[in-house]
Amino acid sequence: MTHMELENLVSEYLEGRLDAVRRVEVEAHLAGCDPCQELVAATREVLALCRSAEDLEPAPWLVPRILRATIGERKPSLWEQIAAYVRPVLQSRAAYVVAMAVFSFSIIVNAAGINLRRIKLVDLNPRTWFYQANRNGHLLYGRAEKFCYDLKVVYELETRLRQLRPQPDQGTGGEEKETPKPQAPAGGSTEGQQPSAPQLASLETGDWKLETGNWKRESRNSRFGIGNSKLEDRSPLVSTSFEFPVSSFRFRAPVSSPRSITR
Amino acid sequence: MDEHPELVKRALAGEDSAWEELLRGHSRKIYNLCYRFTGRSSEAEDLTQEVFIKVFQTLRTYDAAQGAFSTWLNRVARNHLVDHYRRTRRDRLTSSLEDEVGQIAEKPSQTDGPVARVESRERRELLQAGLDKLSPDMREAVILRDLQDLEYEEVAEVLGVPLGTVKSRINRGRLELARVLKRMEGMRGQGTEP
Repeated sequence: MTHMELENLVSEYLEGRLDAVRRVEVEAHLAGCDPCQELVAATREVLALCRSAEDLEPAPWLVPRILRATIGERKPSLWEQIAAYVRPVLQSRAAYVVAMAVFSFSIIVNAAGINLRRIKLVDLNPRTWFYQANRNGHLLYGRAEKFCYDLKVVYELETRLRQLRPQPDQGTGGEEKETPKPQAPAGGSTEGQQPSAPQLASLETGDWKLETGNWKRESRNSRFGIGNSKLEDRSPLVSTSFEFPVSSFRFRAPVSSPRSITR
Repeated sequence: MDEHPELVKRALAGEDSAWEELLRGHSRKIYNLCYRFTGRSSEAEDLTQEVFIKVFQTLRTYDAAQGAFSTWLNRVARNHLVDHYRRTRRDRLTSSLEDEVGQIAEKPSQTDGPVARVESRERRELLQAGLDKLSPDMREAVILRDLQDLEYEEVAEVLGVPLGTVKSRINRGRLELARVLKRMEGMRGQGTEP
C-alpha cells in the first residue's frame, strides 16, 4: 500500500468502515511508516476535537425574533393569557411578600384577641386593635417576667437548703428543732422584712412542704402601664406549693420576707 | 423525528403552535450550522432567521416521502449559506469588533468551571479558525459530518453530490484541517516562547 492510498483511507480506517482485508493492509503499512502514523494520529485528534465541540446556544431572543418575522405577533391562547397574569404572583419574591403580609396580619389579629368567626363592628377599628395588642403584649410580658422571677425564688430556696444540709446532726434523737418563725401576716404583705439566714428554715425529719404567701410586686408591675391590677394579687404561680423530695429532714420557715414556709 | 410530517401538516394548515414547535426544535442545529460556516455569532443569527423565513415560505414544497424534514431543512440552510458565501466573499476579509465581543460572550455550559469554560472556548476558537482555512466544499462536508453528526448518505443528500464525492471531501477536509491545526499550534508555540 502506498502513502497516497493510505491517505485516502484514513477516515474510513478511523471510523471502522474498512473491511478486514483493507484494515490489515493499512495496519501493516502503518507499522513501518512513521509519517503515516503521524498523519493518522493528527486526523484522530481532529476527529476528537470535532466530536468534543459543544453546540452553541443561540441567543434567547432569536426564536421570538424569527416568530415575529414569520407569523407575526401571535395572539396568545386563553391559557397563556391566564399564565401571564399568574406568572408574576408565582415568583418567589411576590410569594414571600404575600406570605409575610398574611403572617403579620395573623399576628396582629391574634395579639388583638379578635375572633374572626365572631367579628364585631368595633373590631374593625384599628384603634381597638392597637389597644388590645398593646394590652395583651404587656400582660404576656408581665407573666413571663413573673415566671422567671418565681424560678429564681425556687433556685434560691434550693441553694439555701443545700447550705443547711450538714445540720441534720443537730436534729438527732427525734427532737425537732425549729428556728424562730416570723409571723407572716395573714393574707397580707410581708414586704420589707428581711430575715437573717438562720431564720430562714427549720428542719424536721420526714417530708416537708413549702408554701408561698402573699406577695406584692408593685415596683415591677407599675412600669407596664396597665395599673396595679391583677399582677398585684396573689399569683397562682407564686402561691404554688413546692414539694422537695428530701426525706431526711423537714423544712418549715419563711425563706424570704414575702414568703412563709409552713408545714 | 416521526412527528415532523404531522407538525408540518399542522403548520401548513395555519397552526402557529406547530410552526413554533418546529422552529424551537431545529433552531439550535441551524444556528450552529450557520455559526460553523461564518464563525460570527451575529451573522449566524441573521442567517438562521433568513433560513427559517425561507423554510416558512417554501414549506409546501417539502415532501415527506422524499426524506426526513431535518435533511430537507439542512439542504435549504446549506443552499442559503452557499449563496451567502458567494454574496459576501469580499466582505469576509474584515471582522467587526461587535462580532469579536459576541464570540467572547458565548458560553458553552453554565455548569462547567471557569477553567473548563476557557479551555472549551479555546478549542472552539481553534477549530473555527481551522475550519475557516478550508475550502467551502471541504468545510461544509466536514461540518455536516463531524459537527452536525449527519450520516454520509444524509450529507450526500444535503449537498446533492454522490456518496463517493462526500467521502472524499470529508477525508480530504479532515486531513487538511489536521495540517492547518498543526501549523496553527506551531505558530502559537513560537509566539508564546520567550
